[in-house]
Amino acid sequence: MIIDVNACLGHYPFRALRHNTAETMLAHLDRNGIDRAVVSSLHAVFYRDAHRGNEELQAATRAHRNRFVPVATINPRYVGWERDLAEAVERWKMKAVMLVPEHHGYALNDDHGRAALKRIADYGVPVALMQRFEDRRQRHAWDKAEDLTSTALLEAAKAFPTLKFLLLNWLGLDGARMVEAGLKGRCLVDFARMQVVYRKDVPRLIETLGVEALAFGSHLPFDYVAPSLIKLANIELLRPAEREAIAWKNAARFLGLE
Amino acid sequence: MKLDRRDFLKSAAAGLGAAGLAATTASVASAAGASSAQTVTRGPVGLPQDWRALRKFDVHNHVFLSGRRGNSDWTDVDNLIEAAGVLGIERLFCSRPITAGVLANIEAVREVNDTVIAAMRRHPRQIFGYCFVQPGTGAAALAEIDRCLDAGMIGIKLYNQFKYTDPAVYPIAEKCIQRGIPFLGHSAFLTDPKTLALQPKTSHALDFCALSQRYPELILIMGHVNGGGDWEWAIKGLRECSNVYIDTSGSVLEDDTIEACVRHLGHQRVLFATDATMEGCVGKMLAAEITAEQREDIFWRNFQRILDRRRA
Repeated sequence: MIIDVNACLGHYPFRALRHNTAETMLAHLDRNGIDRAVVSSLHAVFYRDAHRGNEELQAATRAHRNRFVPVATINPRYVGWERDLAEAVERWKMKAVMLVPEHHGYALNDDHGRAALKRIADYGVPVALMQRFEDRRQRHAWDKAEDLTSTALLEAAKAFPTLKFLLLNWLGLDGARMVEAGLKGRCLVDFARMQVVYRKDVPRLIETLGVEALAFGSHLPFDYVAPSLIKLANIELLRPAEREAIAWKNAARFLGLE
Repeated sequence: MKLDRRDFLKSAAAGLGAAGLAATTASVASAAGASSAQTVTRGPVGLPQDWRALRKFDVHNHVFLSGRRGNSDWTDVDNLIEAAGVLGIERLFCSRPITAGVLANIEAVREVNDTVIAAMRRHPRQIFGYCFVQPGTGAAALAEIDRCLDAGMIGIKLYNQFKYTDPAVYPIAEKCIQRGIPFLGHSAFLTDPKTLALQPKTSHALDFCALSQRYPELILIMGHVNGGGDWEWAIKGLRECSNVYIDTSGSVLEDDTIEACVRHLGHQRVLFATDATMEGCVGKMLAAEITAEQREDIFWRNFQRILDRRRA
């Protein structure tokens, strides 16, 4: 069993993507032996009204809820966002809420960011934070987003001590500082950009945050899936007792999946 | 997760079974004699069943060794070797460039090359060296290439101190032609103004094309297609320059990269490499929708042909 916690559906404005519709991604998951994918909407990142992207995501995944775990994307600068959030979490039962402050024009620690984080914490669902969608060194002229920083993450973690964090596509996380910020036991980090062997980012995070903090993620459809399959195979080879937790159990528990 | 060899073999045996372990370790141990008759056997889902045993040469990697004498800290080098063992990478072709645009003097250049030579001696069947040279050191750079080749290195590595269209680079290229060795160059087509400002002399595909057109017999490798920068631009920029190879390394793991290299350049111009993103870059190769024969050529055979062109 594998649950991929780092996937998106939809088009990206700056590069052609494959496997980015529900049907083509399902076929891709099947080819790669992945049972379920936690997906957010790329359209919700770029539409003025992010919730239209959530509506599309809900429609696209409704028939495949045994395979897709949809994640809402909320823009706290947009009128009526609280109602959008309520619809996503209460009516559609979405399991996490993504914030993209760099794309929607705010910061996690300004009035918009704090309001969104508080409301998400009140619902008891995790906030999903994607450090970046693409490497900034290849950015399109219209792509102004910077990577989310560890400093902003740790500040948010300290300000909202009950909020859970789903951290996607991150690199450079300092486990000791995350523990100090109270994130141990309330974060799930995917390993799409990390290494099991050589740089050993994954073993280092396990030492500080515990194996329960790590999850399989591939950053579909931007990236190839096989790099993450290799990391999982290396965990199975070198740390076999931790394979199941990272492959799917941690994700299932963290997101409350059946 | 520091493993000594005994721990690794114990873990590997538990995870792979005896047959799998034999395949994995054999690919590392048989540097000179591995079979060329390997095919990809794709399992029902996921990775090919025999992916660790597929022969692989990593043509662009590095050794980061502090000090060059007996008391050196070998942790990074040993981690590199351990990772290569796990991933079935038989040979690592490594350099240690001086980065950040630093115009190092020849003593500093010799020192970094000495660390590569030390790593080659510590792991003689796995680590092979590229000689880093800084064209601004003039005749001393050419002498350094000879010194490195005499010590067993197989090629040269340039970083971003000079654009490869700069005449200062020409004697280096001519030396490579004379010795029949590959010239591996750092590259990127940087579209982010902040990054570009930090490395304004980084060469891109059209710079490689220009050097190749001046020296058609030069064995020129454009480093790390996924090392940062617009890789689609980089690949398309090489289409008209049939003498330039491209290596697959880099930390960016974006879907369709390998297929785009093969589609636009032909698979015989593509060389497998990791540049320290070892799991990711093996994964890109296994995921790519190419034939088993193309994959095998890219994994090692194309570079073996380059090595075979060296002259004494």
